[in-house]
Amino acid sequence: MNPIREFELALTRRQLFGRAALGVGTAALGRLLLASGLPATPGAQRHPAEGFLTGLAPKAKRIIVLFMNGGPSQMDLWDYKPKLAEKFDTDFPEEIRMGQRLTTMTSGQQRFPVAPSIYKFNKHDNQADGVWVSELLPHTASVVGDLCVVRSMWTDAINHDPAVTFIQTGSQLPGRPSFGSWVSYGLGSMNEDLPTYVVLHSKVSNGKVDQALFTRLWGSGFLPSEHQGVALRHTGDPVLYLRDPDGMDRKSRREMLDDISVLNQGYFREIADPEVTARIEQYEMAYKLQTSVPELMDLSKEPNEVFELYGEASKEPGTFAANCLLARRLAERDVRFIQIFHRGWDQHSNLTGDLPSQCKDVDQACAALVKDLKRTGLLEDTLVVWGGEFGRTVYCQGALSRENYGRDHHPRCFTMWLAGAGVKAGTVYGHTDDYGYNIVDGSGNVVTPSVDEWVPGTVHVHDLNATLLHLLGVDHTQLTYKYQGRDFRLTDVHGHVVHDILA
Amino acid sequence: MPFRVVFSSMLGRARTLLAVLGGTVLVVAVAAPPAPAPQKSSRKIEYGRDVRPILSQRCFKCHGPDAAIAKTNGLRLDLAEDLTRDRGGYSVVVPGKPDESWLIARVTADEATRMPPASDSKKGLSEEEIAVLRAWIEQGAEVKPHWSFVPPVEPKVPKNEGPKWGRNPVDAFVLAGLREHGLEPVPEADRHTLARRAALSLTGLQPDETLLRTFLQDTRKDAYERYVDQLLASPRYGEHVARYWLDAVRYGDTHGLHLDNERLVWPYRDWVVDAFNENLPFDKFTVWQLAGDLVPKPTTASRLATGYVRMNPTTNEGGAIEAEVFARNTFDRVDTTSTVFLGLTVGCARCHSHKFDPITQEDYFRLYAYFNSTKDKPLDGNLLTPEPVLPVPSPEQAAQLTRIRNEQISLLKAVRASDLSRWSETLQSDPPSPGPWEVSQSYPAKDFDTAFASELGPEPGGAESNATWKPIEVPLGRVKEGIGGRENAAVFLRTVLTAKKEGKQTFLLSSDDGVRVWVNGAKVHENKVLRGATAPPDTVETSLKLGANELLIEIVNSGGPDGIYVLFEDPLPAKARDAAKEQAKDPSGHALTKLYLGSGPDTPAAVRYRALVTEEGKIDAMVPRSLVAEEGPTVPAYLLRRGEYDQPQQEVKRGLPTFLGELPASEPNNRLGLAHWLVSKQNPLTARVFVNRIWQQHFGTGIVKTSEDFGSQGEWPVDKPLLDWLAVRFVKSGWNVKALHRLMVTSAAFRQSSKISPAALLTDPENRLLSRGPSFRLDAEVIRDQALKASGLLVTSEGGQGFKPYQPEGLWEAIAFLESTTSKYTKDTGPEIYRRSLYLFWKRTSPHPTMLTFDAPMRETCTVRRSRTNTPMQALLTLNEDAYLESARVLGQRLAQERTSDHDRLCRLFEATLCREPKPDEMELLLGAIERYRARFSAAPDQAEALLKVGDYPPPAEDVAAESAAWMLVSSTVMNLHEFLNLP
Repeated sequence: MNPIREFELALTRRQLFGRAALGVGTAALGRLLLASGLPATPGAQRHPAEGFLTGLAPKAKRIIVLFMNGGPSQMDLWDYKPKLAEKFDTDFPEEIRMGQRLTTMTSGQQRFPVAPSIYKFNKHDNQADGVWVSELLPHTASVVGDLCVVRSMWTDAINHDPAVTFIQTGSQLPGRPSFGSWVSYGLGSMNEDLPTYVVLHSKVSNGKVDQALFTRLWGSGFLPSEHQGVALRHTGDPVLYLRDPDGMDRKSRREMLDDISVLNQGYFREIADPEVTARIEQYEMAYKLQTSVPELMDLSKEPNEVFELYGEASKEPGTFAANCLLARRLAERDVRFIQIFHRGWDQHSNLTGDLPSQCKDVDQACAALVKDLKRTGLLEDTLVVWGGEFGRTVYCQGALSRENYGRDHHPRCFTMWLAGAGVKAGTVYGHTDDYGYNIVDGSGNVVTPSVDEWVPGTVHVHDLNATLLHLLGVDHTQLTYKYQGRDFRLTDVHGHVVHDILA
Repeated sequence: MPFRVVFSSMLGRARTLLAVLGGTVLVVAVAAPPAPAPQKSSRKIEYGRDVRPILSQRCFKCHGPDAAIAKTNGLRLDLAEDLTRDRGGYSVVVPGKPDESWLIARVTADEATRMPPASDSKKGLSEEEIAVLRAWIEQGAEVKPHWSFVPPVEPKVPKNEGPKWGRNPVDAFVLAGLREHGLEPVPEADRHTLARRAALSLTGLQPDETLLRTFLQDTRKDAYERYVDQLLASPRYGEHVARYWLDAVRYGDTHGLHLDNERLVWPYRDWVVDAFNENLPFDKFTVWQLAGDLVPKPTTASRLATGYVRMNPTTNEGGAIEAEVFARNTFDRVDTTSTVFLGLTVGCARCHSHKFDPITQEDYFRLYAYFNSTKDKPLDGNLLTPEPVLPVPSPEQAAQLTRIRNEQISLLKAVRASDLSRWSETLQSDPPSPGPWEVSQSYPAKDFDTAFASELGPEPGGAESNATWKPIEVPLGRVKEGIGGRENAAVFLRTVLTAKKEGKQTFLLSSDDGVRVWVNGAKVHENKVLRGATAPPDTVETSLKLGANELLIEIVNSGGPDGIYVLFEDPLPAKARDAAKEQAKDPSGHALTKLYLGSGPDTPAAVRYRALVTEEGKIDAMVPRSLVAEEGPTVPAYLLRRGEYDQPQQEVKRGLPTFLGELPASEPNNRLGLAHWLVSKQNPLTARVFVNRIWQQHFGTGIVKTSEDFGSQGEWPVDKPLLDWLAVRFVKSGWNVKALHRLMVTSAAFRQSSKISPAALLTDPENRLLSRGPSFRLDAEVIRDQALKASGLLVTSEGGQGFKPYQPEGLWEAIAFLESTTSKYTKDTGPEIYRRSLYLFWKRTSPHPTMLTFDAPMRETCTVRRSRTNTPMQALLTLNEDAYLESARVLGQRLAQERTSDHDRLCRLFEATLCREPKPDEMELLLGAIERYRARFSAAPDQAEALLKVGDYPPPAEDVAAESAAWMLVSSTVMNLHEFLNLP
């Protein structure tokens, strides 16, 4: 781009502003400016250096992450271990644990009694050898033909705050940009009137919100803050400060924005700072958001079948089901990164009391989302990811009975599933040992996964993020941002694209 | 003709470097930030500016200071001797002879043999990069240490030819830079603009009306300087500049991780404000924060300042591994100290030696060793005041406490030695002994509250008289985990206590979680609490019969395993023994006498003493505390392989990173010695780093743009002589911070108009050369405070606990733990909510949206440079957020009540917001707007009424409602102008 030419253009635009003033409205102007590519951050590193795209046509245009905060028990949902039934209350063998560290919640326990899942697993056909799914997820089980179930996820962190921060930002310590903000930074927006990165928080029906979230999880870290996730709320304004105050009608708002625009144009004529025109553009965007967001949130035109598909709860704003329905609407509107948080998956005790209601909150809606995206053709280029920050132990935390037990955090293996764009549908990836404790190879030998060198059959958090970026057409090693003298990336200096799970 | 570089980042996506030289135009896409790429060999190549960035970005990864890797490659391009060493007939670099230099051969080789190898880098070096290397070798291949690692020497102030311009030496440097690029400064901004610019830049607020008017009418030659001095003398100055510091040290009112409970450290924040207002020299400011506990005579202020060391986010997450948390806390302290004071990113060296800067992993842990021996525990206990904390009484509280303590001392001194010794002799420990313990079944309830409140089991009045009891071991004085209580359930323990004497008995009891205790059927203790059994025990007081006593303990568990800790020892005799020893050692401490008066016979003196202790306790409870650092015994530090807490290697002793030299032998090798070195002449960085940040505050961008990184990957200073001159002068001035601000703000460079000429936009798009006055978007705090001030709502009370203004419902609730002390947001009432944003309660996991939306950091990590974005969310915020709307309303109400013309009222509005008069076209437009709104609201009074409801401030009388609403919208219009949101 030629800066001289750009300046002349900017000067020409001012005449246009002059005409647009009073009456005509400046909405069209906003679009014009948008096309000019004026940055929202003067002087900042606006876009990644060239060459971060893989060069391959991206399989996924957008991504929906269903995040189960707290660490869902893979032992009771996805990782079927029939041989454990007869090992009830036996001591978890040291040769399986191999001295691995435990959290201080159970490291002082005198015994580590094995707690087999009390839930029935059924085998469901997928597009390969079938997959065993717990009775707690009957709806999700019905779409396994579209899922790639990864049983060999593993992570570095053993406690919630660092583990959630790790899977969201690629670092256990605060300060790094979240996945969604990296995507926003790298790929930008696909739509004109909605944010690029949207976050939805879900109600938990049993009320046990015993795990916290942190703004950093959708923050932009050291990236410019325009890339941070925008929370779409179910109470108050759906987007913060979206609604004009009571007593102000749209006409007054429009007139006020026109006045602001004209006055800003005058200021631009005086000081010729391109930032002024960028400001005018952002006020127009704000005006558009005031229309596009309520339209997005308005479910009244959704047919009844849709609510039936997502379940009764989808009629209640803020439920996970309602958020899944919104996720589909966001995907339809080409929002790039959509993330739904559901809390309360930290079953240290009373697992059988709490896990069923957690599953009930999400099961039908997860399946509905996959079906709905498929029905509308969006699944072709939309990626859906389900999972939490780590798994749970095979041994019981606290009191073990035939009816109830608890499980501590387990970073060495856990289950996630992926669906949609570019993912090998109807398959299962990775194996764990008979205790669901270590990742093993196809012959049942324990493998030692490594963050430095990828071991086939294993999927580290960095590998997952690298793979998701790959599906979005991004080379995770090249999408960098220079900060404090270093080129940072989501996957740090690690990550391996796991081609085995790609179609 | 000097070569010319145009960096067009603000104009588009492609980062294009336009190098115009000798008639040739080269357009090259490069990664940001680009080093200017000189092309002609006649131009003097600067190794640090021109060559090293190429080597460090393209080569150092394998051939750099990270010796572990370089060893395997046999070549370090950062070492001069390695470059020119004879390698058996050839050298990597032959000074003066590019064509004989292996370096050039390799970077220009074909795909198969070129460096960097294709496997590492898709592209080889660009032609321009190669040209720079060639020119450098031609000119002798001089290798100099990185500029910022060499202490600054005061440069000569440039003597500029041509038209005179400038007011102080800063301008001479600026002018030289401008002329070098073919630019000239622009005229001074008008007085209105200057008034607003200086006030916003120095105090973060528009000026008071009287101050503004005085300045505007002041015809003296130094009117502006006088105005600046008044701004610097205002307490608002300290508040404003403190805020930048609080970003850097990541100040927050919560722990920051997991539960994110409140922590008490705001007295530190107030100390920072005071320090700036009192113009505490920056060297002292530095030493106190790093080591105010270790200075020869620590004062309350110096100790308070060590809150800096404690500022890192902390956690007490269940399951957390202490050693891991400890290492992370210490890392954070090292990284922050390094960025704040040295402008260096040492964090990379935590895992491996730095690839670009000469910081080895061992260097990192040498610094680590300074910060690993403080007394605070790694896990914060989720406490408001995790020790050590410093009481910071107000002057009134201090006076009251002195009075009480003096009277206590006279009472203590009056105790006769004979009474004291007779009493001590009567004390002997004879604890009751428990028989076998039994445990009941557990009694679950729907939640913890119910489990605690209900009488479900065998307690007196309980629902179950026939509990099933099983034997259980309960060790005395040790924690017993896993009694069998389930989640939200009660469980009972019982035993028979045999007392050898009758009377008062004290014992210690902790529990996981809540506890109730009965002795002989009477309830003697209860504590509804969520805790682990290792928590500090409760002291349970009861009286026992001689012989058998029935003891029943109920433990109520909320989740996870339950537990108990119990000890029947009467603590008094043991305490007396210790106190006697202490008193023998230090008679003035009165340890034993205190115990005698406190727990001995009820003499009149003892009764008075106890009343005084109670009173003291009451006042003391009101005294704020602040987290401080205290040095404990030196803990050995080890190099941690890959920065993993559980992989210690060799022991590492405290010391500076080797390339920065050594602490003088005269200095103690602790935080104090380190702090002294930071502000010594031997340290090349701290003064430069700080003056650069002040420059950034006033001019929008630092002389080194990467103000967080002065290492080799950071930007080369746009004007190194200016930076060095400022740094040297700053130190010579006695680290005088106010003088530094004054120097910059009174410069002609700062006072220029901010109009952009086409030539300036072309040559100096980011205003790095200061071809015009500074103009950039204001920070979140300034925008909010400005709006409040314009309306007259701003409350300028100083210091104290963070306040909670309007906040949309559910923001904290959506993310927080229920048990967190910051899970529910309760807005303050009264004038508190109109305080300056500096005093906002800062919850690190969910900072206030008015702040985050305008690029304030979370304060979880050190931030010395905020991003400055421009988004629709910001527009929505200033249009619709309660405080902004309320400010517009209150300003509107005031204008509505003025009995003057619309014209005059618009002038008032502009003065309050933009410090200037409206221009004719602005006046015309807004007169139209006010007419329009007035007509609308007169016709629809209900709309006016609805609009005026926003905020707590009382609405206007009904008869001026329409008028107020109309003026509210016009005020809001002005408060949303680019000019209002920007430094003018």
